[in-house]
Amino acid sequence: MPLISFFTRFQRPVSIAPLVIFRVLFGLMMLAGTLRFWLNGWITDLYVKPKFYFTYWGFEWVRPLGDTGMHLLFLCVGVSALLIATGLFYRIAAVLFFLSFTYIELIDVTNYLNHYYFISLTALLMIFLPANRYFSVDVKLWPSIKKAYVPLWAIGAIRLQIGIIYFFAGLAKLNADWLLNAMPMKLWLPAKSHLPVIGNLMYQSWVAYFFSWFGAVYDLLIAFFLTNYRTRPVAYVFVLGFHLATALFFPGIGMFPYVMIICSFAFFSSALQQRLLNRIGNTSFLPASTFNSYHVPVRLKSVLTGAAIVYFTLQVVVPLRFLLYPGNLFWYEEGYRFSWRVMLMEKSGNTFFYVKEPSTKKAYEVNNAEFLTPLQEKMMSTQPDMMLRYAHYLAGVYAQRGIKKPAVYAECYVALNGRRSTLFTDTTIDLSRQPLSWQHYNWILPYVKK
Amino acid sequence: MKTDRIKAGLLITVLAATFFIIACSKKSGTDNGPVATNFDKGAMLTNYADNLIIPAYTDLQTQIAALETAANTFLATPNADNQLTLKVAFRSAYLQYQHVSVNQFGPAESVLLNNFLNTFPTDNAVIDGNITKGTYNLAQNSSIDQQGFPALDYVLFSPGAVAKFNGTEAAKRKKYTEDLLARMKTLTKTVLDNWNNTYRAQFTGNTRSDAGSPIAFLINQFAFEMDQMKGPRIGWPFGKQSGGTQFPENTEGYNAGISVALAVENLTNLKRMFTGNNSGKGTSDYLVALNQKPLNDDVLSQFDKAINSLKAIPDPLSTALTNNKTEIEAAYREVQLLLTLIKTDVASATGVRITYQDTDGD
Repeated sequence: MPLISFFTRFQRPVSIAPLVIFRVLFGLMMLAGTLRFWLNGWITDLYVKPKFYFTYWGFEWVRPLGDTGMHLLFLCVGVSALLIATGLFYRIAAVLFFLSFTYIELIDVTNYLNHYYFISLTALLMIFLPANRYFSVDVKLWPSIKKAYVPLWAIGAIRLQIGIIYFFAGLAKLNADWLLNAMPMKLWLPAKSHLPVIGNLMYQSWVAYFFSWFGAVYDLLIAFFLTNYRTRPVAYVFVLGFHLATALFFPGIGMFPYVMIICSFAFFSSALQQRLLNRIGNTSFLPASTFNSYHVPVRLKSVLTGAAIVYFTLQVVVPLRFLLYPGNLFWYEEGYRFSWRVMLMEKSGNTFFYVKEPSTKKAYEVNNAEFLTPLQEKMMSTQPDMMLRYAHYLAGVYAQRGIKKPAVYAECYVALNGRRSTLFTDTTIDLSRQPLSWQHYNWILPYVKK
Repeated sequence: MKTDRIKAGLLITVLAATFFIIACSKKSGTDNGPVATNFDKGAMLTNYADNLIIPAYTDLQTQIAALETAANTFLATPNADNQLTLKVAFRSAYLQYQHVSVNQFGPAESVLLNNFLNTFPTDNAVIDGNITKGTYNLAQNSSIDQQGFPALDYVLFSPGAVAKFNGTEAAKRKKYTEDLLARMKTLTKTVLDNWNNTYRAQFTGNTRSDAGSPIAFLINQFAFEMDQMKGPRIGWPFGKQSGGTQFPENTEGYNAGISVALAVENLTNLKRMFTGNNSGKGTSDYLVALNQKPLNDDVLSQFDKAINSLKAIPDPLSTALTNNKTEIEAAYREVQLLLTLIKTDVASATGVRITYQDTDGD
């Protein structure tokens, strides 16, 4: 039966090296990212200074922990990242890292980034992967846990996760604006004309088209080329070239290119990574046997298999949920997050909120700067669910200020992918009475190309 | 080899697709992206530094010196005539300040020039207390609402000011006035010197557009000044945030009664900054080079509409708040439209993020 052979293939023992190298690189990368975040003062800027936080649906209980608390939480992220890298108390460290990192990300929708979501997912996977069974402090402390071989799925899970990300990022680029208008590249590239040598090319239309098409093709196909051993070395050169180029052109995306460069290394074969590890770690090649091969405990096998199927099904379904919504995805952003839509559109907005007291007909225009940081205001001004949360918050604040039954109206203008700004919200609808939901938002005006 | 064939196939596909798309886009002629002509951002920034920003600080320095001369005459002989002469110099210097207000980045940002020179409304009780006590530290950040043009406006031109300069605390009041002027002189000189000595080269040499770059500063500050116009200068005193309850005493230049003149000067200068003083080397020309002429035309005409609608409001604004509501509503609306154009359309078109924080994004 092909299905059975498909599954047995994933049980095939392979060298643990890719998993171990991934663990070390991932841990070090996360440590570096945490230090960078800390040293830039972003903990205070993003998690201490704001008065109001845009929580996630179902996670309203996730609150910032104050100045000391937030710094301790980041300390926990950093320490657990270091523990992951060194492989000390690995399982506990992976759980701690996943929980603390995810908690931070859940505090404020403003700070949502696809690669933070990727890090949370990877950390979750790593809890269940035996990445500390080799080349780790844990093995030094408890030599009996040492394994030189793992079933292929243990590495395959990570490769599949990365493959999904690339593929959906590529699918997301298959839209008219990206392919036919080279938007938003046409807007972003001229802003890079300061670059030496190639600077003047940034004004050229064909360069924008080249970037758009190359990016789409790269994202769609790179995982397949990385999987195939014949194309892998060349594909990895493309990975390096592509992500270093994005780091150069779009420094605003921070750690993302480096995260992808490091994670894509997981595609290299077990044999090659074992040789690499032997050279670095002074380890030697051991033949596979039942003693040094890792197996999932029998009682957990069906539970874990079931969980893995559910998990990866969700990974495919969640990015496609946008298909259930009417209207332009970029305009409404219903089903936009958690879908690997990276650097996909240029959208900016400007929102004025008005609180009205029905009994007196008095109107109070809101000074957004009083409640939101500039970054929060910018993010809120283009994302409907954030507007709604903010409107609900404003209703509460103004009620406390003595306004009876405050009604909240938003007048928002949005410019999308180089088109002129148009009115985004129905200014006659009281947003304080509009519920947050997964239903289509009727208070957003339809997208009109102008 | 198979690898090479795959590679070659991939490359050919991408190239063919690219050429196909370019061919199509050329024909259709609706290409609203960048044009193939280069734009010299360095020349634009040099124009801003040498022909707009540095001269504006130099003029402000001159105007404050003239203001000080007039103030000394008034302080020596505090009478209504000298106060009138002083008011002319004050108005002139305050109007000139509106030319530098938009430049709150680099040297101005590092000394918080706007905060120290133009935080209004002032805390009058504290100012009176400072005068009575004779001890105060104007270098403290907490003292921003006790100094600058708004504090001079209160001390020199509030009702009964002349009498107070002849009263029991005359000497202390005189000293406070001198200290205010001295602080304004020092701050302005610090900023101007910094521009001339080091920052000019940094500013003109950095043609990036990301957070913290001169181009991003300019666009962000255009939006910020418009926000100030909509809020503290016009909207807040008018009662926009307070359900119609007005605060006439919170207007800019309240006692001198020159709020509208200041607002008009501010916006007129903002337009001059936007166009680079019609030199062909301004933000406006950059937009045109990016094939955004229609947007640029709209912004320029919206500038004119907003400026003209402001001019329709008579000074003093404090009384116009009740007598000219229609005109103020109209001006407010035009300012809001202009703000939206700059904050969304212009920011998008130039690839600049409107945010003062530097964080990752994707």
